[in-house]
Amino acid sequence: MNTNPGSKPAVQVRGLRRTYGQGPSAYEAVRGVDLDVPTGSITALLGTNGAGKTSTLEVIEGLAPATAGEIRVLGMDPISERGAIRRRTGVLLQRSGFSGDLTVRETLRQWAGTLSDPLPVDEMLERLSLTERADVRMLALSGGETRRVDLACALMGDPELVILDEPTTGLDPESRREVWRLVSDLRDHGATVLITTHYLEEAETLADRLEIMHAGEIVRSGTPTQIAEGHPSMISFEGLIDVPELPGLTRVTREHHRTTLETSALQETLTELMLWARAQDVRLDDLDARSPSLESVFLAIADGRDPDVPQTPAGSTPERSLA
Amino acid sequence: MTSAFSLKRTLNLARWNAVLLTRNRLAFVYAVVLPVLPILIMLAGERGDPAVGATSITTVFLVVGLFPVYYNVLSQFVSRRDELVLKRMRTGETRDAEMIVSIALPGIVSALVISAVVVPLSQLFEQPLPVNPVLYAAAAVLAVIMFTAFAYWTAAWTRSAEAAQLTSMPIILLASLGPLGASLADSNETLARIIDATPGAAMNELVRVGWFGFDGAEATEKTLSFAETWSAAGPPLIVMAAWTIAACSLASRSMRWEPRS
Repeated sequence: MNTNPGSKPAVQVRGLRRTYGQGPSAYEAVRGVDLDVPTGSITALLGTNGAGKTSTLEVIEGLAPATAGEIRVLGMDPISERGAIRRRTGVLLQRSGFSGDLTVRETLRQWAGTLSDPLPVDEMLERLSLTERADVRMLALSGGETRRVDLACALMGDPELVILDEPTTGLDPESRREVWRLVSDLRDHGATVLITTHYLEEAETLADRLEIMHAGEIVRSGTPTQIAEGHPSMISFEGLIDVPELPGLTRVTREHHRTTLETSALQETLTELMLWARAQDVRLDDLDARSPSLESVFLAIADGRDPDVPQTPAGSTPERSLA
Repeated sequence: MTSAFSLKRTLNLARWNAVLLTRNRLAFVYAVVLPVLPILIMLAGERGDPAVGATSITTVFLVVGLFPVYYNVLSQFVSRRDELVLKRMRTGETRDAEMIVSIALPGIVSALVISAVVVPLSQLFEQPLPVNPVLYAAAAVLAVIMFTAFAYWTAAWTRSAEAAQLTSMPIILLASLGPLGASLADSNETLARIIDATPGAAMNELVRVGWFGFDGAEATEKTLSFAETWSAAGPPLIVMAAWTIAACSLASRSMRWEPRS
């Protein structure tokens, strides 16, 4: 039931493009995305705001047509076979809304009435810790509570594929962990999860597989370890200091009163640097050395420092948001 | 397609839409209270005068078409689109057509119940029974479909629930031309023709023919027999059908499910 290398991916995307507007004002938000979501996995689409994550998801969800490309969800076309797909999927939108005058329980009963085979409303209230708030009108809920109602709806049909667009944005740390538990449980019970996030911690904790998106393209794929592999380690210290040729050194930058060395051989470079500093009597304040991490890869991509990654196109200014 | 239009889903959604309608005082007044008011015309007018009856019933139709159906459906749809409720609903099994019908249904039911209830009610004011009940019922059904179509067409170019107060004006004026039409009819032949082709005038005519057997816009007494009402109803039926088809096709081409970004 779980990840099975032989089975077909739950979601398969090839050459997806999505353009907004026409003529000179047209903006291409998704620029040729290939994506496989293995059945039974949690796959995270990670990227800065404006990277094209939601634009990609909307096509997979069947809410918007692709400008170009081929999309298969559970082996079907998300638009022409929408009816069949909907029974087997649960979708949480990044932003959605409720009728404020219905209570939480009424909202879930209304949603249950639209599903072929819904789980009991009381069970969903329990799972999302909403039982105490069941008779409160939606307009009186906090942002986190509303998000949990939204999640309850997405999961009520007991879907085999769950698509969650930034499920924890705006949640407090406690609720965020609760959502993580819920998502892991889904996978442990055999569901496939496709989730977007701009929280590195969330992606690292939850995902079996990461797809890093930047400026409308997927620029890195794999497990968190695979993604960090081959990426340079970093050594940095205060002051703009000229360093000699060191083994493994690939790049030196001096900015913001800090010198940063990138290296493919952290131990050797660091050893030589220390020996040089002692010999020259140079003091390296606030010295920091680190192996490649998801964070360093992600930051390199977001800042356009990654040589394999195209620069952010003019006109779009993704803000970095890291928690 | 594996799941076509589901009546069960539609009725479930319509039921909750009705619940929401009762919880919004202003919408409830528009949908249920306001349309009953024109019956008071019969109370004020001379008992047993079919001209008074016709004025009252045609006004009931106009108000019923404009408030529980047209304005109510327009504002419910636009506000739910604004609030992203519709976008969320579309991620589930609900089909677009089910949403369209379920949002309109509470207002439509209110409109049809009122059009039915005025028949026995008018007896209290010694009004005649409808000459051709089938035609009268057809007028009611066609009117609610036409105004529903107008609502969805207007929704296509209405930005928000507040904007609906303005964007609804053209249809409200167009529909209200009917009652005004009669007084202008004799002064100018071309103008009369144009007014006859408006949806409100056609609806008026159909009620006057189907219920009261009136022949023409100025008639105040029954001259048409049951058989004659069929042919007299032809032109207004065609006019209403044409408006309905036009509105449906415009609406389906410009339907939007989420606010413009």
